[in-house]
Amino acid sequence: MRVEVQGLTVRYGDVTAIDDMSFSLSGNKIYGLLGRNGSGKTSLMSALAGYRRPSGSVQLDGVPVFENAAAMRQVCLVRHSADAADKGDKVSYVLEYGAAWRDTWDNDYALELVDLFKIGLKTKVGELSLGQRSALGVVIGLASRSPLTMLDESHLGMDTPTRYAFYDTLLNDFMAHPRTIIISTHLIEELSSLLEEVVIIDGGRLVLQEEADVLRSRGTEVTGNASDVDEFTVGMTVLGEKSLGRTKAAMVYGALDDEQLVRARQLGLELGPIALQDLFVHLTEPVGGKR
Amino acid sequence: MKIFRHLALTLTAFCAMVAGGSFVFAVALTFVVSAFRDVEISAWNIVASQVGPWFLLFIGVYAIHNVLPIAVAHGRTRREFLVAASAFSVVLALVMTAVEWLGFLVEGGIYSLMGWGADERATQFAYLLMYLVWFTVGMLCAAAFDRFGGGGIFVLPVALALVVATRVQVPGSGNLPFVTSLPYLLGAGWYVALAVSFGVALAGTWAIAREMPIRVRA
Repeated sequence: MRVEVQGLTVRYGDVTAIDDMSFSLSGNKIYGLLGRNGSGKTSLMSALAGYRRPSGSVQLDGVPVFENAAAMRQVCLVRHSADAADKGDKVSYVLEYGAAWRDTWDNDYALELVDLFKIGLKTKVGELSLGQRSALGVVIGLASRSPLTMLDESHLGMDTPTRYAFYDTLLNDFMAHPRTIIISTHLIEELSSLLEEVVIIDGGRLVLQEEADVLRSRGTEVTGNASDVDEFTVGMTVLGEKSLGRTKAAMVYGALDDEQLVRARQLGLELGPIALQDLFVHLTEPVGGKR
Repeated sequence: MKIFRHLALTLTAFCAMVAGGSFVFAVALTFVVSAFRDVEISAWNIVASQVGPWFLLFIGVYAIHNVLPIAVAHGRTRREFLVAASAFSVVLALVMTAVEWLGFLVEGGIYSLMGWGADERATQFAYLLMYLVWFTVGMLCAAAFDRFGGGGIFVLPVALALVVATRVQVPGSGNLPFVTSLPYLLGAGWYVALAVSFGVALAGTWAIAREMPIRVRA
């Protein structure tokens, strides 16, 4: 499903959550929506899902989404607040809502996921732990089989084994049923191997939209003798450094040219990929008043 | 249609069960009271005319505050939900009026057997309109508070005017202050006024909820 956003603005009173944002997603990929707290991720996803009337244009496959029955059928947004579930309802009842109202709902898959995440069908939503509520959100999102599925901070409260089960399930389901999936998360490194494209927003504005592999190639980790690393990185944008004895690793931003690659070889430095998370921090952290 | 079917099957069944439980409680309470004094009023009329409207107001609040966001989260539009909820309001009011009628029928049999006396009650149409308006006003209030937060308080005087109007021809639910004779002066026109109240409450609900944002729940 193609997503096109043009001049989107979302305001809450005097606060501007999304400020004249424009971008498009070609679809059928797993997208990572990355941003710091309060950057506007949930507001952006809410506008994409027709949860609020957009100021500007939000179109899915060329048609506006807000209050458009045909377009809204194609979308599922699961926010951390579990909109598709009432706290007083039993989990089985929550699944009944999905089965009753979603044409694309896969109830067998929903039951399989509920079993995987060990969520009791007779338990009330309000009695679930935060991690279980998040897992229930994942169940609703994935079982909806919506052409545009958005998961907002769906890992909140999940323990590590559950998070890994979530990542495996997400990838397997995407392989079996390719569609457009947008995930917002703070656990960038854990999810980075799943992400095909990354959208970074900050202060309600689009900072960057890039293929994940291309983004990773924007930075390099340089490891070697501390003095050689220091000499090599002079004049470069260094995002961070780690030292152990006389060995030092520096993360530099920007692609290296041929001359720099030769120089690194001469100095015996090891060059490796940089963590997506470090790039994210650099791109959203104001340094000296500039990004 | 899916939303309407879901509302009709789940909420109507729930409301009918609550009404049935209330009837059993009212009858049991009447037997207890009869041990201490003569029974002169209908206990079921107190439930039907005083508790019933408040219960339906609560169901109206629940429909907008709880079910509407779930519908949108499952890919349904607000318009689809409001169409379904509007039709459901009529069905629910009809079912609750039928339950109310059935309750009076059974209670009448019990009262005859026991030789108890009951007070006057309203027409079925008056109960129907009362339930209809109270449910719709519940939706109106929920929409106003969900959309405008504390600003929703400004809809309360309108809501109060709409619901007070429904009760004046239902014995046991209280009389209008200062203008007690108004219902008799209006005659059959009073029913028209109640139908207009229903229309106003429904129109207000649509106007407010039609583009209501689905907020993050606390």
